[in-house]
Amino acid sequence: MRNFFGKTVAVGAIAMLALTACGSGRDGDTDSGSGDSAKGFAANSLIGVALPAKTSENWVLAGDLFTNGLKEAGFTSDVQYAGASTTVADQQAQITAMVTKGAKVIVIGATDAAQLSTQVTAAHAAGAKVIAYDRLITGTPDVDYYVAFDNFKVGQLQGQALLDGMKAKKPTGPYNIELFAGSPDDNNATVFFNGAMDVLKPEIDKGNVVVTSGQKDFKQIAIQGWKAEGAQARMDQLLTSTYGSKELDGVLSPNDTLARAIIQSVKSRNKAVPVVTGQDSEVESVKSIVAGEQYMTINKDTRTLVAQTLTMVKALQAGNAPEVNDTKSYNNGSKVVDTYLLPPVAVTKANAAEAYANDPKLAALTK
Amino acid sequence: MSRFKDLQKNLFGGTTSNARQFGMIFTLVAIVLLFQFLTANNLGVGFGDGLTLRSDNLIALFQQNSYILILAIGMLMVIVAGHIDLSVGSVAAFTGILVAKSMADWSLPWPLAILFGLAIGAVIGAWQGFWVAYVGVPAFIVTLAGMLLWRGANQYVGNADTIPVPKGFQDIGAGFLPEVGPDTGYNNLTLLLGLAACLAVVWRELQARKTRKEMNAEPAPLWVSIFRMAVMVAVLIFVTLRFAGGRVGTSFPISGLILVALVLIYGFYTRNTAGGRHIYAVGGNSRAAELSGVKLKRVNFFVMMNMSILASLAGMIFVARSAASGPQDGLSWELDAIAAVFIGGAAVSGGIGTISGSIVGGLVMAVLNNGLQLLGVGSDRVQIIKGLVLLLAVALDVYNKSQGRFSIIGSLTRPFRRDEPSKPAPTSDTGNEPAKTTVAG
Amino acid sequence: MTTNAPILLEMRDITKEFPGVKALSDVNLVVKAGEIHAICGENGAGKSTLMKVLSGVYPYGTYSGDIVYQGSAARFSDIRQSENAGIVIIHQELALIPDMSITENIFLGNEPRRRGAIDWKSAQRQALDLMARVGLSEDPDTLIKDIGVGKQQLVEIAKAFAKDVKLLILDEPTAALNEADSQHLLDLLRGFRERGVTSIMISHKLNEIEAISDSITILRDGKTVETLDVKADGVDEDRIVRGMVGRELSSRFPDHTPNIGEVFFEVRDWNVRHPISADRQVCKHESFNVRKGEIVGFAGLMGAGRTELAMSIFGRSYGVFESGQIFKDGKEIKLKSVADAIDNGLAYVSEDRKAIGLNLLDDIKTSTVAAKLSKISHHGVLNEVEEYDAAEAYRKELRTKAPTVDEGVSKLSGGNQQKVVLAKWMFTDPDLLILDEPTRGIDVGAKYEIYGIIQRLADQGKGVIVISSELPELIGLCDRIYTVFEGQITGELAREQADPETLMKQMTSTKKMQTR
Repeated sequence: MRNFFGKTVAVGAIAMLALTACGSGRDGDTDSGSGDSAKGFAANSLIGVALPAKTSENWVLAGDLFTNGLKEAGFTSDVQYAGASTTVADQQAQITAMVTKGAKVIVIGATDAAQLSTQVTAAHAAGAKVIAYDRLITGTPDVDYYVAFDNFKVGQLQGQALLDGMKAKKPTGPYNIELFAGSPDDNNATVFFNGAMDVLKPEIDKGNVVVTSGQKDFKQIAIQGWKAEGAQARMDQLLTSTYGSKELDGVLSPNDTLARAIIQSVKSRNKAVPVVTGQDSEVESVKSIVAGEQYMTINKDTRTLVAQTLTMVKALQAGNAPEVNDTKSYNNGSKVVDTYLLPPVAVTKANAAEAYANDPKLAALTK
Repeated sequence: MSRFKDLQKNLFGGTTSNARQFGMIFTLVAIVLLFQFLTANNLGVGFGDGLTLRSDNLIALFQQNSYILILAIGMLMVIVAGHIDLSVGSVAAFTGILVAKSMADWSLPWPLAILFGLAIGAVIGAWQGFWVAYVGVPAFIVTLAGMLLWRGANQYVGNADTIPVPKGFQDIGAGFLPEVGPDTGYNNLTLLLGLAACLAVVWRELQARKTRKEMNAEPAPLWVSIFRMAVMVAVLIFVTLRFAGGRVGTSFPISGLILVALVLIYGFYTRNTAGGRHIYAVGGNSRAAELSGVKLKRVNFFVMMNMSILASLAGMIFVARSAASGPQDGLSWELDAIAAVFIGGAAVSGGIGTISGSIVGGLVMAVLNNGLQLLGVGSDRVQIIKGLVLLLAVALDVYNKSQGRFSIIGSLTRPFRRDEPSKPAPTSDTGNEPAKTTVAG
Repeated sequence: MTTNAPILLEMRDITKEFPGVKALSDVNLVVKAGEIHAICGENGAGKSTLMKVLSGVYPYGTYSGDIVYQGSAARFSDIRQSENAGIVIIHQELALIPDMSITENIFLGNEPRRRGAIDWKSAQRQALDLMARVGLSEDPDTLIKDIGVGKQQLVEIAKAFAKDVKLLILDEPTAALNEADSQHLLDLLRGFRERGVTSIMISHKLNEIEAISDSITILRDGKTVETLDVKADGVDEDRIVRGMVGRELSSRFPDHTPNIGEVFFEVRDWNVRHPISADRQVCKHESFNVRKGEIVGFAGLMGAGRTELAMSIFGRSYGVFESGQIFKDGKEIKLKSVADAIDNGLAYVSEDRKAIGLNLLDDIKTSTVAAKLSKISHHGVLNEVEEYDAAEAYRKELRTKAPTVDEGVSKLSGGNQQKVVLAKWMFTDPDLLILDEPTRGIDVGAKYEIYGIIQRLADQGKGVIVISSELPELIGLCDRIYTVFEGQITGELAREQADPETLMKQMTSTKKMQTR
């Protein structure tokens, strides 16, 4: 038995050595790096797009635009959404699969912008360029580009529109308002809020605008997961606790989904609908604006954003450095990421027809 | 009897659970090869260049799923004991946020933070074990409550923030065996690990032969032993070279190492110790176990507590790999772990199941997930397919049992076999008085 | 009733086999319309099997022989069909749902409907009517769990009437009832007889049978012994007992010369309460002892409290311990858990192998070592070789019929399963083995082997307690027999003094008859 054991071990060891000897090329760490972007890559290469779960119309639209746009440009596309309940883990696995498949550029609309650094680093190491789409991925130096609407500007437009809207209804203050913010795990939510407060804070300090409930801290007003039911529940609770007799003049809502939930909550109490801001130009909200309920939304035309991303992908393919317009503002904790910012447009009932002229679906609603 | 069945019996032992495992391993290999073929086909390259078995993919596969497989180990023991644990995802998330906070806010060094995390798991587990074992609340209810409780606690503590963790900590989820020694073109430590595994396989086989001899039982024929060793060593060498030959800087993942260690430890515990056997006894027939002197409460307490400790470990590994603890950690992990255990052959009613089966079950799901993603199938359709696979795997098993057969292979080869009719169990339920339930003097 | 009343039911040459065991062979039963017909026999004689054949639990085709009911051949394939024909069985364990009302229970599965919905108004009206017929005055909305066992029994009977019963079969109807409730029930049965309802009653309480029945059919070992006409034949209890137990006993037991030593195990003034109903005392001041090398029998009717006594001694695995002492080798021992009991050399082989004796998922070797894993483990690690060797040794010693010890216990026959259970407890090296119905459900050949094993254990100097409902078994096997009735030890007989009649008397009466 001992002899047998010895022989087996010897055979095994020899086999392994033999295999070791003939196995050679282990990929180095070097076929990536920023220096060789000049080389570009084949025009039919795989481009991966990882988007969050299909919780809003915009992500679905973006996915369709990416699929078609990449195809038209001659690329092979792999557009993936995260599963509804397993978002982060799904997205991590999807990005890894894209790397394995040899994607040259990976566009990521992050579910949780702080939990993808390992995958982004692996992608970068494998030679893929990473473009953070709409949400800036944090905690890794391996994000190559960031493309988004100017979200601080979005917040400012929301804040301004809120003031304008309230003034139009009631010429003098003080105005009673409530604040809502987006999901705390979305980097943008903070930026929107800060933008809005940039406009609102001076008015609040003057006493012209009053946050009646006193809830002004981001953590108090953030809605986990941008969930409509979360916003509705918070609004219900605010109406009960604070607006038994008082009038509510305006609500700062970070996006349309939450705006509609807030309006729903107010309407179910038979109160007058206040001035409510929004963002994203969702179909239902545009209808609501035309009908005079929601006051404003932001048009961050997904078409423009996807088109800009595709332009960057094409530049990378050709071996050129993509155009960026902000190389200072967006620090993700590891580095300042080169960014291309697109300007958002505020839309109210007054300018809706004009603003949506390019969008066949929305344009029809404004007629 | 077909030759094939003989071979199966010789290779994997004749008992039913082994036969079931053979079916699962066969399925796993089939799925791997299927996806290797499909991915190669998709790219229009040869079979050998398919994506599934590529180094980077295997490494990623292991790294991505180690935390689910760790959960499956604990879940197997819980399910064998006749319980269920729905709270693992929430426990993992709660531990994750506390550990991340402990390092971010109290600057706890990461090794201590890991111990801290395990301690949290132990405390949570003791809490749940107390209700299950000593109060007698069904585990389904206790852990359903735990699912809400610890999820809420996670949000309370974390304020839904995403909290990054330091580099050293990240290694338990995202790290690899380091590069040491001369440049062999491979990761040397992984090679050593593979060599050790090969030796262990050979040693175990010889040991098993020796044991059979000592039992005065016929050991499998020598050629079978050699064949079995050769197959396993060949697979191990192949896998080792894949893991060792990935991109420089990657190799066998640390989380995989933790998983392997746990599989070995718990596999040994469940198979070869009195404590492990008590778990099976309790799940098989708790009353009989109690009347054989098994301390029922202690066993139930242990499996629930152990599950939460492993859930905490899984949570930390996920946080480490994600480089941060986030509010969505742990969502629906319990379902993945439970699915792995049942696909791996455990019985819903308890008493049946193995660690290795659950790992294979988990790998079936993982390979399926990975393969479909490599093919660019969307997560919606992936979920549909996974759901169907879970249902079919268990349905096939139930069907086989009702036919008096146990192996998937058995049902595949059925039309060609001319066996003796499956004989009914002659447990004589004879014409005596109706069996009284527990006590009738 | 009149002897020339028409025949309602005739079962002819009924034979029912289970794998390995012939439960009924050529049994004949003739029941006349309007009589109360008692069926007597020891446990295992085949009474319940016969009733299951009659009611279609064992469908037509699974037995041989004919059933003629109301003049035509009856071939029931399930209970529903027999119930539609007016045959209703009331089982010993009542089939009532505790959290439903009396009305709901009476009409369960038989709900009066109007346009698809249950017509509760009519149900309630009918329920009141039925309850009046069985003499039950309760609010029909009362939940079953809130009324006593006696009244529950009446609800069961009312339920039978709701189905338009022609032949009412009662299986041990008074087993769980107190004296007054029993009396009420018997009166009720007499009333039914006046109104022409035919009843079959299975009972162990011979005094009741004598008092109420018109005819008695006695079964033994799956065969009809005789049918007695109570009035014409002048039947009394002794006559019934003789019919039940009268058989040649000698050849059924291996020859054995006991070698009895000192008293080494003693239980004094043992009191235990029911685990759920704390006011029910299941062991009342029971005291007994066992000598080395002695086989001690415990005789008693079902429900007398023998199993409860044994299990409560075995590490308090039944009931709520109240008071009492256990002495072993002259020293008092406290057995607070099963593990304590095992460590102190006690072993308990339960009466229900499958439900609480074995893990049916296990194979022979795991089962054999299950109660004492420490014997085959070192530092908590099991030694497979030692496990295998131990199991193999017992397989050979007890001649368990199985190809290897890797065989699953679920595949074994009852007798071989019992041998595995015996091996499991012999493996713990006990000084005292308590065997609860050790031959239940086992065929004659295997019984003989098990008796031999029990005698060998005694010869090794161990004490053995055998609990059995088969009197011949106790008489043939035991050196000394205690009788138990309603949680009390009512007598103690040496082997020479024990005969079925005496035992039966002591088993059915609280009167203490000290014969030694």
